[in-house]
Amino acid sequence: MSDLFTPTADWQRLSPAYATVRRLGALVYNLVATGIVCLGTSFFLDWRWVVAAAVAGLSWTLWRVIRAGRWVRSFGYAERAEDLLITRGLWNKELTAIPYGRMLSVNVESGPIERAWGLAKVQLVTASIHSAGHIPGLSQADAAALRDRLIVAGEAQALPL
Amino acid sequence: MTEPVAPPPDRPDASPPAEVTERPHPLTPLIRGWVVLLAVIIAFGRDYLPIGREPQPLPPLQFLLGAVGVVAAASGIAGYFSWRFTRFVIDAEKLRIDSGVLFRRSQRVAFDKVQSIDVVQPLAARLFGLAELQIDVGSHERPKLRYLSRARAYALRDYLLARAKGVQAEADAASDSTSVLVDLGAQDEVLVRVPPQVLLLAAATSHEFWSIMATGVVAAVIGITFNQPWLVLVIAIPTASTLIGFVGRRVTSQFNYTLSRRAHGLRISRGLTSLTSQSLPPRRVQAVQISQSPVWRRLGLYRIDLEVIGWGHVTDNENKTGVSTILLPAGTIAQVRVALAALWPRADFESVELHQPPARARWLHPLAQPFLRWGHDDALVVSRHGWLVRRWQVVPHARIQSVRITQGMVSRKLGLAGLEFHTAGGQIMPHAPGLDAAHVLERQSELLRLVHHPAEVDVSDADPGQADAGPEALRADHAEDTISSSE
Repeated sequence: MSDLFTPTADWQRLSPAYATVRRLGALVYNLVATGIVCLGTSFFLDWRWVVAAAVAGLSWTLWRVIRAGRWVRSFGYAERAEDLLITRGLWNKELTAIPYGRMLSVNVESGPIERAWGLAKVQLVTASIHSAGHIPGLSQADAAALRDRLIVAGEAQALPL
Repeated sequence: MTEPVAPPPDRPDASPPAEVTERPHPLTPLIRGWVVLLAVIIAFGRDYLPIGREPQPLPPLQFLLGAVGVVAAASGIAGYFSWRFTRFVIDAEKLRIDSGVLFRRSQRVAFDKVQSIDVVQPLAARLFGLAELQIDVGSHERPKLRYLSRARAYALRDYLLARAKGVQAEADAASDSTSVLVDLGAQDEVLVRVPPQVLLLAAATSHEFWSIMATGVVAAVIGITFNQPWLVLVIAIPTASTLIGFVGRRVTSQFNYTLSRRAHGLRISRGLTSLTSQSLPPRRVQAVQISQSPVWRRLGLYRIDLEVIGWGHVTDNENKTGVSTILLPAGTIAQVRVALAALWPRADFESVELHQPPARARWLHPLAQPFLRWGHDDALVVSRHGWLVRRWQVVPHARIQSVRITQGMVSRKLGLAGLEFHTAGGQIMPHAPGLDAAHVLERQSELLRLVHHPAEVDVSDADPGQADAGPEALRADHAEDTISSSE
């Protein structure tokens, strides 16, 4: 963990159960995609290409499944006095700072797979589509508490332009 | 985010301005219908012209004329009724547009939602001295008033903008709202004017021009090397027509470009065939890009593009509704200064001290590294990019939504990192790549501090009087900003 992407702050991590959800998601999504690609190749090219596509697809799936745990551990967020920090990524690392005053709304979402593990995702919406303030894989109680804290902070610090 | 629903207390409720009803100009159906008429003529007329195909057996001329007559009469009647049923009503709070014969439609535009108003004059309308008003209310659809006589359109635009600006202007503007047919041109303060010959020169020396040319030349060379000389001709014709089209579009759409200032804001007027007068809301400008093609460096020309909420994509050409995102099509550094000073009177992009990234960034940006710069002062962040085409991206702290540090694998090995500044726009994305990773965190905190504690007044406020309008005004402005940004 490099210092640049985890400056001193009170870092919160995602729920370890989220790694399982992510693995499952990667598995389903990648296997379906590989299947479609293999089927497509089989119409136009000979069997060697189909095997090559299948091998590529399966190894990518395996890689995603193995990396899921590390990715989830790399993700962190910190609520500072005036902004929210989000750090993520293994190869391409990011540290995003979103001032509370810039938040337009805070959403909590939970898909069917996430719900089965009792998880939810908090989404901070700013006026910019690039801010990407998503925090996935929180326990539902944590997510609701975080949302409430963010709303309070956002209302208290709304920036006068 | 609470928009004040009740009128502000200082509005003179005792004497609300009378309701003003406006009709479109009687020639409106003619202008709206002429495109249809033209299409009909072309569709029938094509059969009379021997264009490379068998002339079809034609119906007798009387029949054709009769058909055209029926179409003309039908569209004339339809046009009359649609004109008869269209009304623009202005009252104390809002503008209402009623239209539709069978399906009545009533659009309401609250004055405090009006962001900017454009006056567009397509060729046909212009011939008859008519103009169309397009009102930007921050949403995708722009309510339109078409067509009004030109003078009335300008007067109405000024009136609506005055109302949108606030209460103080109301009394003055309302009193003579029905009679402001006088030419207000004298009030205009012209800031920048770009003559057509400069546009022509700039278009012919721009990098877009040269890249079209280069594509043609490369294709021609390939044709010659493969001993297919006929290919050269096949390539030369579309290349030439693309070039002419490119230069033509640049010149006609920005013809007689004028940036001017009036009491109620900045205005760009431009265009040869269709004259557009576009009002520019500085508070909605998210980011600015100044760019310079290689030849322009010799000529000392620059171009400024804007990213404005509600204006759509940042492009070279005007879009379907006639909006262009170009602030300055081509101008000298002095004109760039004037234009940016008009936009952000409280900021000076040239005084921002720019820093060069470390030499090892060359591994990551082999061509661009010598030209990369970035820096900020207490109002603006400026970054410079580009090896061939030089680009400066300028964004005020007050428009930054979030700040991100990024680092890829190569950057990590080199000890470099990049900064991204996110604005409510998405296309001009100001960023500063290849910075020394050791200091980038400090830079981020410094930028965040400036976002949290912006200057007392916005970069786009020229009038210091607005500063002491009190927290109420600031809250209202903020509400406007957040609502408009959430589209």
